Amino acid sequence: MDFFDRFAVPHPSIAIYASMAAIGLTVIAVIAGLTYFKKWGYLWREWLTTVDHKRIGIMYLLSALLMLFRGGVDAIMMRAQLAVPENTLLDAQHYNEIFTTHGIVMILFMAMPFIMFFMNFVVPLQIGARDVAFPRLNALSFWLFFMGAMLFNISFVVGGSPDAGWTSYFPLAGNEFSESVGTNYYMIAIQIAGIGTLMTGINFITTILKMRAPGMTLMKMPMFTWSALIANVIIVFAFPVLAVLLAMGTLDRQFGTHFFTMDNGGMDMLWANIFWVWGHPEVYILILPAFGIYSEVISTFARRNLYGYKSMVGSMVIISLLSFLVWAHHFFTMGQGALTNSIFSITTMAIAVPTGVKIFNWLLTLRKGKIVFTTPMLYSMLFIPLFTLGGVTGVMLAMSAADYQYHNTMFLVAHFHNVIIPGVVYAMLAGLHYYWPKMFGFMLNEKIGKWTAWLLSIGFIFAFMPMYVSGLDGQARRMYTYSEASGFSLMNMISFVGAAIMAIGFVLIVYNIYYSTRYESRDISNDPWDARTLEWSTHTPVPEYNFAILPDVRSNEALWDAKKNGHVLFKGDYEKIHMPNNSGIPFIMSCIFFVWGFSFIFSLWIPVIVTTIGIFVCMALRSFEQDHGRYITVKEIEETETNLRGA
Amino acid sequence: MKIDNSLPLEYSTEENSLKILGFWIFLGAEIMLFATLFATYFTLENRTGSGPTGAEIFQITPVLFETLLLLTSSFTVGLGIHAMRIGNKKAMISFFSITLLLGLAFLGVEVFEFVTYVHEGATLQTSAFTAALLTTLGTHGAHVTLGFFWGLFIILQVKKRGLTPQTTNKAFIFSLYWHFLDVVWIFIFSFIYLKGMM
Amino acid sequence: MNQLFPMKQVLGFVFSLLLTTVALAVYFLDMSFAAGMTILLVTAFIQAGLQLVVFMHAGETKDKGAIYTNVFYGLIIALVTVFGTLLAMIWDM
Repeated sequence: MDFFDRFAVPHPSIAIYASMAAIGLTVIAVIAGLTYFKKWGYLWREWLTTVDHKRIGIMYLLSALLMLFRGGVDAIMMRAQLAVPENTLLDAQHYNEIFTTHGIVMILFMAMPFIMFFMNFVVPLQIGARDVAFPRLNALSFWLFFMGAMLFNISFVVGGSPDAGWTSYFPLAGNEFSESVGTNYYMIAIQIAGIGTLMTGINFITTILKMRAPGMTLMKMPMFTWSALIANVIIVFAFPVLAVLLAMGTLDRQFGTHFFTMDNGGMDMLWANIFWVWGHPEVYILILPAFGIYSEVISTFARRNLYGYKSMVGSMVIISLLSFLVWAHHFFTMGQGALTNSIFSITTMAIAVPTGVKIFNWLLTLRKGKIVFTTPMLYSMLFIPLFTLGGVTGVMLAMSAADYQYHNTMFLVAHFHNVIIPGVVYAMLAGLHYYWPKMFGFMLNEKIGKWTAWLLSIGFIFAFMPMYVSGLDGQARRMYTYSEASGFSLMNMISFVGAAIMAIGFVLIVYNIYYSTRYESRDISNDPWDARTLEWSTHTPVPEYNFAILPDVRSNEALWDAKKNGHVLFKGDYEKIHMPNNSGIPFIMSCIFFVWGFSFIFSLWIPVIVTTIGIFVCMALRSFEQDHGRYITVKEIEETETNLRGA
Repeated sequence: MKIDNSLPLEYSTEENSLKILGFWIFLGAEIMLFATLFATYFTLENRTGSGPTGAEIFQITPVLFETLLLLTSSFTVGLGIHAMRIGNKKAMISFFSITLLLGLAFLGVEVFEFVTYVHEGATLQTSAFTAALLTTLGTHGAHVTLGFFWGLFIILQVKKRGLTPQTTNKAFIFSLYWHFLDVVWIFIFSFIYLKGMM
Repeated sequence: MNQLFPMKQVLGFVFSLLLTTVALAVYFLDMSFAAGMTILLVTAFIQAGLQLVVFMHAGETKDKGAIYTNVFYGLIIALVTVFGTLLAMIWDM
């Protein structure tokens, strides 16, 4: 029995049993549905084995939306628990698990795949390429991310969720204080997803550096591609740090080493230090592509070229370097001296400068523009004031002396939600509305979209502004309840109301997708927004090979040039196109990784050894494989092009 | 597939030059991987708990052997690439085989070194210092082990398929990896062993 | 036979053996910590540069700009990470 006891959830509640039943039923329903409609072959051929960057992008999008709701439910439960003092909706343990999984799911399994979706779907189209540099590696990246996310999510019903916070600081995360396998899930699931992310980084840097359309020099790249390039540079140099950190955490928890323990020389502070060496650049991995999307949206709907292109690029390059120079500001109160804190205070405040440059560039783009208030533009306009507020409180937090007051309070929680929600989440939603027609051939409903944007913003203000106040009054974060006498009741109740309004907003997004799928017109052009960059110059839906003829680029707004200045984008005749073959190895290898991860978490060493061998066999097979891809003939291209033009 | 004959075979196709640049970027990531391990090691270097210190367990002889073996293997893999570029398949295979044998010898000495440490009471679980030391060395050793099998597969492919754009590309990328492991070893040699014994 | 042993690589190998010998001085000779570290830093970084240029052919294609930028960017961040960690965890604790 002991063996099976480990798989049981240590602190079960009705919610967990209900989720178990729901997960079980969903799995059965999906399998039954696929069998009944005979879709297994379709699923395998068109999705599981695909190496097409557009399809991989769409799979990232689906995962991100799924995880958005997982993390969102965690959030609403936390706010409900804190809505009134001495609440007993959740107990302390359950609350700990929920704030831990909320953080990890939202950052690593919602925001990350969302930006991966944009990079996958948009970057090759924007630079006029036919795919990424390493299409099969791209599939492997996605599947590793996906398996990591799924592995993390089953912790909820098998063995127990991690409960040491998304930062998982030692000694709390060590064996002494976290006995369940929850923190093992943290170490292994994030490790697997992280490997996938690192490979994406390498893939996209190579793609952007080497596969741009003829004539597109670096300084003629659209701004989103620039932001993707810089974000991927940060990924490549930050994610190895996370890999080493998680490996050391695993060694401490499962092999009895003393990196972060309290005895035999271990140093728990080192975990916090290395965590933030990765963790702070990670923030910029999320926000830079978001800035890129805002740049595209604002320039499109202000009907003007982006103001200060060079300073935009320059400020991103500076941010990418500075992002590695500020990590200690996450633990100003840990005990290091004034010298260290001063250095990191100054570098942190310095980041506000390039960020401010970007804000002013967007404002100056709007100046004298003919602004069109579409849903993506509305999100961007809501972003500028709300994000600036978050940035200003960030500068407050950057002052190490003052940080002793803010540290670990709700003030901090308010700050980082204030930059992440208007900064990242709004960009993701703006981008979702903006690129939806290119993906699926119809627009999302504008009216519902605008309602959503306003609801989210009003909800956001109600949910997070009170936290600044209660934080300055001393309400600590991560506390599962508080007393009536503390006086935090009103602020927390307002927060709960705000969270509920936001929840309505998120439900409206799903409704909008449903509504638009049923009722929106399919009769749209390739360029429904009157946009400026190359992704809008090809057909909708985008053919497999993206561009029948590679575009010839003369400026950073190639399509606008073609529309307004008569520049000819597509010159010459069709030639046969080389495309990569689909492959099942990435999917199979990631499934083996999933089993490997699960066995590792529960220290089942025999399956670990077997699956490790399996992984290496997959790699060896790949090494010996000879796959030169295939060609699409000129005749096939002509047929596809005629069909798409006729439609 | 377009083949550009003005370049060495390993760069000759579009795909090949993508792979070489991609691998360089991967090496950039590897720099950070080892930098994190070094940062950990330097922080925990003097936190030996009740276990032995570096000066007590390091020995110059095995370390010197390891260094010479790896330096020489880096030289021979370079010669292998040179032989490949002048189209001498036989010499290339010989040089690659020598490289892998030297790598194997390096691993042998490293295993001997680890066994000695364990006998002297410096195991992975002894202290923060030993954990950081053995993890850093072990990560490098694991890279060499992986490289050994990778190199083996490439020799087999060159034997079977000859010097094609694909096999030469793989061999060249492997050589980058192997040289990089030598660079990492130079830092381990200088800042873990020599600094520890100084 | 000469054809198989290009001068550049042989000299590179000899030079790297020489640098290793110089580094060994810190073990065999008695010197201050500062002097020893200086020798180690100088020899290690020259060795690394040697491998990069002579053996790894970093500068032989038109991608050399990207390759060198990548390596130097990595190096700078690596040094910042190592020294920043030492500053926060040991020197200024």
